[in-house]
Amino acid sequence: MKKIIDESKLILIAIPVLLWTLLPIYHLFVLSISNQESMLAGKLWPDDPTLQNFQIVFKQQHYYLTNFWLQMFNSFFIALATGLITLFVATCAAFAIARLHVRGGRSIMNLALATYLIPAAFLAIPMYKAMGTYGLLNTQTALILAMVALASPYAIWVLKQASDKLPKELDEAAVMDGATSLQLFRLVYLPLMKPSMVVIGIYALLLAWNEYLYAFLLLSSEKAVPLAVGLGLFLSADDAPWNLLMAAGLLYAIPPAVIYYGFRKNMVAGLTSGSVKS
Amino acid sequence: MTATTMAAPLAPPSAATSGHTRDRALWGAVMLAPYVLVFAVMVVYPVAYGLWIGLDLNAYRRLFADPIFLRTVLNTIIFVFVAVNLKFLIALALSGFFVAQRAWVRFVLVLFILPWAVPSIPTILSFRVMLNPETGMVNSQLFQWFGIVEGPGWLTDPTLAFLCSIMVHIWKSLPFWTLILVTGRLAIAQDLYEAASVDGASRWQQFRFITWPSLATLYVTSTMLSMIWTLGDFNSVYLLTGGGPGDLNHVLATLGIRYMRNNALDLGIASIIVAMPLILPMVYFMVKRLSKGADA
Amino acid sequence: MKSLRHLVTTAALAALTTGWVAPAMAQESITVWFTKGFYKGEDDALLAVVDKFQKATNVKVDLSLYATEDCVTKSVGAVEAGTPPDVGFCTTYDFRTTGKWAFEGKLEDVSDVLEPLKAQIQPQALATTFLMNDKTKKKAYYAFPVQQQMMHITYWKDMLEEAGFKESDIPKGWNGYWDFWCDKVQAGLRAKGKRIYAVGHPMGVAASDTFYSFLTFANAYGAQVVDEDGKIVLDQPKNKAAMIEAVKSYANILQRGCTPPSSVNWLDPDNNVAFHNKTTVMTHNATISIAAKHLDDMNNPALTQEQRDQAKKNYYDNIRTAEFPNKPDGSKMTNLAAVKTAVVFAEGKNKKRGKEFMAFMMKDENLRPFVEGSVGRWFPTTVEAAKAPFWTGDDPHRKIVQKQYTDGTVPFQFVYNYKFTAVNAENVWAKAVNRVVQDKIAPEAAVDEMIARIKQIAG
Repeated sequence: MKKIIDESKLILIAIPVLLWTLLPIYHLFVLSISNQESMLAGKLWPDDPTLQNFQIVFKQQHYYLTNFWLQMFNSFFIALATGLITLFVATCAAFAIARLHVRGGRSIMNLALATYLIPAAFLAIPMYKAMGTYGLLNTQTALILAMVALASPYAIWVLKQASDKLPKELDEAAVMDGATSLQLFRLVYLPLMKPSMVVIGIYALLLAWNEYLYAFLLLSSEKAVPLAVGLGLFLSADDAPWNLLMAAGLLYAIPPAVIYYGFRKNMVAGLTSGSVKS
Repeated sequence: MTATTMAAPLAPPSAATSGHTRDRALWGAVMLAPYVLVFAVMVVYPVAYGLWIGLDLNAYRRLFADPIFLRTVLNTIIFVFVAVNLKFLIALALSGFFVAQRAWVRFVLVLFILPWAVPSIPTILSFRVMLNPETGMVNSQLFQWFGIVEGPGWLTDPTLAFLCSIMVHIWKSLPFWTLILVTGRLAIAQDLYEAASVDGASRWQQFRFITWPSLATLYVTSTMLSMIWTLGDFNSVYLLTGGGPGDLNHVLATLGIRYMRNNALDLGIASIIVAMPLILPMVYFMVKRLSKGADA
Repeated sequence: MKSLRHLVTTAALAALTTGWVAPAMAQESITVWFTKGFYKGEDDALLAVVDKFQKATNVKVDLSLYATEDCVTKSVGAVEAGTPPDVGFCTTYDFRTTGKWAFEGKLEDVSDVLEPLKAQIQPQALATTFLMNDKTKKKAYYAFPVQQQMMHITYWKDMLEEAGFKESDIPKGWNGYWDFWCDKVQAGLRAKGKRIYAVGHPMGVAASDTFYSFLTFANAYGAQVVDEDGKIVLDQPKNKAAMIEAVKSYANILQRGCTPPSSVNWLDPDNNVAFHNKTTVMTHNATISIAAKHLDDMNNPALTQEQRDQAKKNYYDNIRTAEFPNKPDGSKMTNLAAVKTAVVFAEGKNKKRGKEFMAFMMKDENLRPFVEGSVGRWFPTTVEAAKAPFWTGDDPHRKIVQKQYTDGTVPFQFVYNYKFTAVNAENVWAKAVNRVVQDKIAPEAAVDEMIARIKQIAG
């Protein structure tokens, strides 16, 4: 009897939680399969569900979607480049700080942490100004560099913590065998750090894929912007094609969701070692 | 990792040659260099440039003369206070739900993560369309079922619109913090609870004397982190209402961008600098706390 | 592991080279930023001009098209950062930045290009580009008058009839006019169970539609804000009283529930959206873009035949373009015209060629297709193009537009005092209306705040 009461209590919590979580996503989905009329009537379920919106998006048949696939590719490119460069920068730095105990490493670590903690929105304007001086405005390089700068502090921190957990004896043994620092990095460190590196790579990748503010500030040409900015352009359309926006938005939301679920186990493990920026 | 490496001699390499030390120092510097470069180019220079622009006292005079500035500061404080506390109370409660050992609860958790896993743009714009007073689903349904012609002005009444921004913020970041607290709860030894229930302790007593003491540190750290990041939440306000109606619902994160759009970049910088006394102490505190944790 | 390392290096290199190496290899080029048109025709005409220019000069044109709001934001940022394009044309420059940039010496003097063209350009349009430069302490032409706009009323004739009225029932007097839409038409349709609003009344602070509409109201009430020397005269009792009336009148439309509640958040396209949806029966809009969309749709091959037929019916029968009612004092309305300006930036890398591009663009054979490509959304600034059959023919909408322009226009305040671009950017007008509507303060107090703020910004 107590079991049944417990179970029903849990269900009573689960229902509102699911409603709350899924309502906007359900709404997004409903709009993406609605025609203009049902959408503007605010129907709970469209009169004639249609896949026409997706067809229009796929074929880039709307004025605001003429660069859809290009922008999707831009998103991929920027995310991938950010992920890989962040991995490179952060792994090297974590190794130098945690294993080689480079001088000044601690201070750099703390400065990086501070960068991680300061909200990105507050760094946006100064970074935008600086990009202007570097002459990098409106290049994808600017956005990639910005995303690397935003992603590496946390990456270094997590990788450093993971490095600290590796037994010290490893280095010592390697040194005894006459290994150089570089060999130590390649042959001992990298293989052991693989799991954490996967988490960090994905973290940086998702951060870049999901970014709106920086992308919108640093890039402008419709052919260079990632999909997030392309979708934002819909707000200036004067025929309210929200159904197309949502269809395109759904396609944009699927890759990160899939990646997240694919690597859920690693991500949760990564989470416990610190906290990923929400 | 093989057994041989683990069984390597434990004697400290006291006779490390100077060549080895130099090698470490050299490679340490080389490998730290990429990040130092990124940091210098993307953080140090921009911030220094920003501060230099921010030296213009005239900008602050104009900033404080802007009628919406003080309102924005007030909004920001309320936003952070309400959003963070509400979010954490809910997260604390929900983390109790999600530790239940049931397969279906784990499935609910998988769905519950969605808002955090998907990008902001489509979902927040979905809220925006859904809450549109005339054509949105919510008011359309109110009209259809209850004949309410003028449904609530979700995004047009200043107070409601502000609450909606807070709601969207919570929707987006609740899963993450709930997960953190779930992880925290899972780290508590189960036998403590078993022993307690044998002693006849109530649910509340279990929470009060076992769960809370173990979670408190994590809870406080997380709250602090979340406060800092909530201060910087641009999307929940910008994409939902654009700071409207009537520029009444800006927060500091969106106000800077608004100044930039209005051809007043110096005011944008000034508004950020004004926020620093609020943020930097927290950042300092957190850096100390986190880097101490990292060494433990 | 080796492969991952290889991948990291390659990607890092690839990312770095795309940004840095590409420009080094390019031929001579100019950077041009334009507002993305509302219709395909505009962009097509522009691309044709660009194409012709590239062929004629062998200079590559790097053209970027931005949404209305992004366009001006990007430009402002780029000017601040010292990295502007060579040529910029955003349809809100005139409202927001042209005067300020000219004053601060950020723009290239283009008098040498405009002087020879003087006779071909409408004088009141040309006058708006003769601007003060604080660095040289002289006035000169700092912008190209590309096209212009003014306020029109647009309404659904079929909805009006559904409400039980004829077009001839629409009053000509100011108060009677708004009462007719709000009380009679809205009530007529509500009685049929429709969830509609009579007027689409822009009130969002981020929309230029809002200050355009509001200043039209202020103009109707005779509230003069500055004199021709740019001195603020709004605090004179007569003007202040008129402004209070204008604020009351403007706020009243929302207060009586006659415009959609969401209008307080509207961005520029949103009154169009509400009109197309038939959420509103009429709206005031600073171009005939609303009707023009249906003209565009009726020739849009991506739509079904049925949709094209409906669009045609909408354009020719269902949608009407009309003038504003008479002023409250009974006199005829004079319309605020805004001339859209293209500029060459002083810090542009290749501004000489940029100037050449604009000189090329200003030629009638190039400019006219671009302006007409907007299917009536923008009115030409040249004398000849304004008399073209495109405007004087039997198109039901353009005819009215042409008539409104020939009736004469007045300029915005920022032509006399550039700091009013900042007043408009902050949308002091919409703020005052919102103070009355949202914070329920007295219109008198709201106007006091408005005057104080205007003095702070533009005094």
